[in-house]
Amino acid sequence: MPTIEAEELTKRFGSLMAVDHISFEVVQGEVFGLLGPNGAGKTTTLRMLACLISPSGGSAKVGGYDIRQDSLKVRQILGVLTENQSLYERLTAYENMDFFAEAYGLSDEQQKRNRIKKLLEFFDLWGRRNNKVVTLSKGMKQKLAIARALVHDPPVLFLDEPTAGLDPESAKEIRDMIEELSQHEKCTILLCTHRLEDAERLCNRAMIINNGRSIIVGSPEELRNRIGSKSILEIRMRKLSQEIIETVKRLKQVREVNVDNSATGLIITLDDGESATPEVIRSIVHAGGMIFSVNALRPSLEEVYLKLIRGEKVES
Amino acid sequence: MRADKTILVFRKDWREISRNWEVILPIVIVPLLFSILFPILVTMAPSLASMPESSLSNIKAMIRILPGPMKDDLIGMTNEQTIIYILAIYIFAPTFLIIPIMASSVIASDSFAGEKERKTIEALFATPISDSELFMGKIMVCFIPAMTITLTSFMVYSTIIDVLSFSVFGGKLLFPNLIWILLIFGLAPAVALGSIGLTVMISAKVRGFREAQQISAMLLIPIMILILGQASVATMLGPIVIGGLVCVFAIVDSVIFHFAMGTFRREEILEKIA
Repeated sequence: MPTIEAEELTKRFGSLMAVDHISFEVVQGEVFGLLGPNGAGKTTTLRMLACLISPSGGSAKVGGYDIRQDSLKVRQILGVLTENQSLYERLTAYENMDFFAEAYGLSDEQQKRNRIKKLLEFFDLWGRRNNKVVTLSKGMKQKLAIARALVHDPPVLFLDEPTAGLDPESAKEIRDMIEELSQHEKCTILLCTHRLEDAERLCNRAMIINNGRSIIVGSPEELRNRIGSKSILEIRMRKLSQEIIETVKRLKQVREVNVDNSATGLIITLDDGESATPEVIRSIVHAGGMIFSVNALRPSLEEVYLKLIRGEKVES
Repeated sequence: MRADKTILVFRKDWREISRNWEVILPIVIVPLLFSILFPILVTMAPSLASMPESSLSNIKAMIRILPGPMKDDLIGMTNEQTIIYILAIYIFAPTFLIIPIMASSVIASDSFAGEKERKTIEALFATPISDSELFMGKIMVCFIPAMTITLTSFMVYSTIIDVLSFSVFGGKLLFPNLIWILLIFGLAPAVALGSIGLTVMISAKVRGFREAQQISAMLLIPIMILILGQASVATMLGPIVIGGLVCVFAIVDSVIFHFAMGTFRREEILEKIA
């Protein structure tokens, strides 16, 4: 049974269709990305699933609970990192954690203290636990907001732009933590982001949305394949001869052959990379080419994303 | 509704509010001035009354327009005793209604509109605390401190008056008395609740703490009218008038709270911070 199920989920604000009949499923332990530019409908989708706002249409279940009928139960099993850090700046880091721990039902004092200590130590904030949040750096606040979302050890986690505004080192720590939660603790994670770096590394599957509509859903690999099934091979050799170029050009699945800037490598465009690559390599070797390296160049998720957001046609 | 969740919200809000000088200063300084300055003015009044141009010089004319039962209380009193009695018991009475209104509206503005302004409300709404638990917790954090400050101010005021007037009244204590007990334990809570309800409604419509505070400050206008009426002896807060006002406020409060709870909807509040 999927942990998150959204069926034709729709949200309308007056005349604005913020989320337009979006459907998807997320299974346990999966990291599912919602990708899209600002105003695409990512946060609105997350807010509906977190029972913060009610949908105008469609239905959704989180952990088997209906978001309309069992909103308190949905909130109970959810950890939410909101778009704004939503931390009480006049309270200390520990007081913030303590309040949310109790709000999520951690009533046993010892258990609560241990959980808070574990999380604050993990995020390297234990030494700052008695400092008011207002005195913490942006990165520390973001880590504290994530720690707060995890305080009740939720089986489902919603993260809205978790690495926004963080330095590269802190962003890496957060990404490592998300991976750890998904792989080892089987936490189901819904990740809203426009940082494709995060999506590429973390998401098992992602949905690209724009203007409230789902454009495409799939694993980063599938998305790349669908945006362009042509493969590009970059082959570097000790010495490049005209004979090698002509041999490669004669192959059936080769569409285009170009010589690279160093004049010792070829950039070869293929119809189907998987089946044609061995044949290309064999032909080059047969023609006397001494190969140093072979790189399969694939479009990055960023290219896929930009192409889709600009409304370019996707190959099905 | 779970009481532990309501108390949790109360505790969290109070921790926050008690560390905010923008909130604490006005709700401490004004009552402190009232409860210390007014008794001093009361005990100085008889000497001011002896001055030729003083408005208190014609005390007999003032007594003549007082309602019957109040006049009876003054029988056998000297001029000095009468002035102190009228000022201490009647004239300053409605000014103490400013304290619960001011304190509750300042706290309510911070607790409702302030949380929205600081964008902390989204994570709070994401918790499994119900709307009614949140609402009650926030009402408590406005009401309890407002009433504690009102009660403390009254106790300071009445103690100073009793100490300073002890010799003037030959050992008779002016406080506590029925009027002030009804005022502090009846009318003040009713007024505070009305003020909280209105501030909650205002907070739902505005984006920030200051905006909410400025609009809710208008709630003081009816109390200022009451103070002027009392000072001019046009109205006098006797036990029957106070009892009547408590009944009126009870009805008004229930109407206000009905609408205030209606405005406390997660979705509408979140739309304002989107």
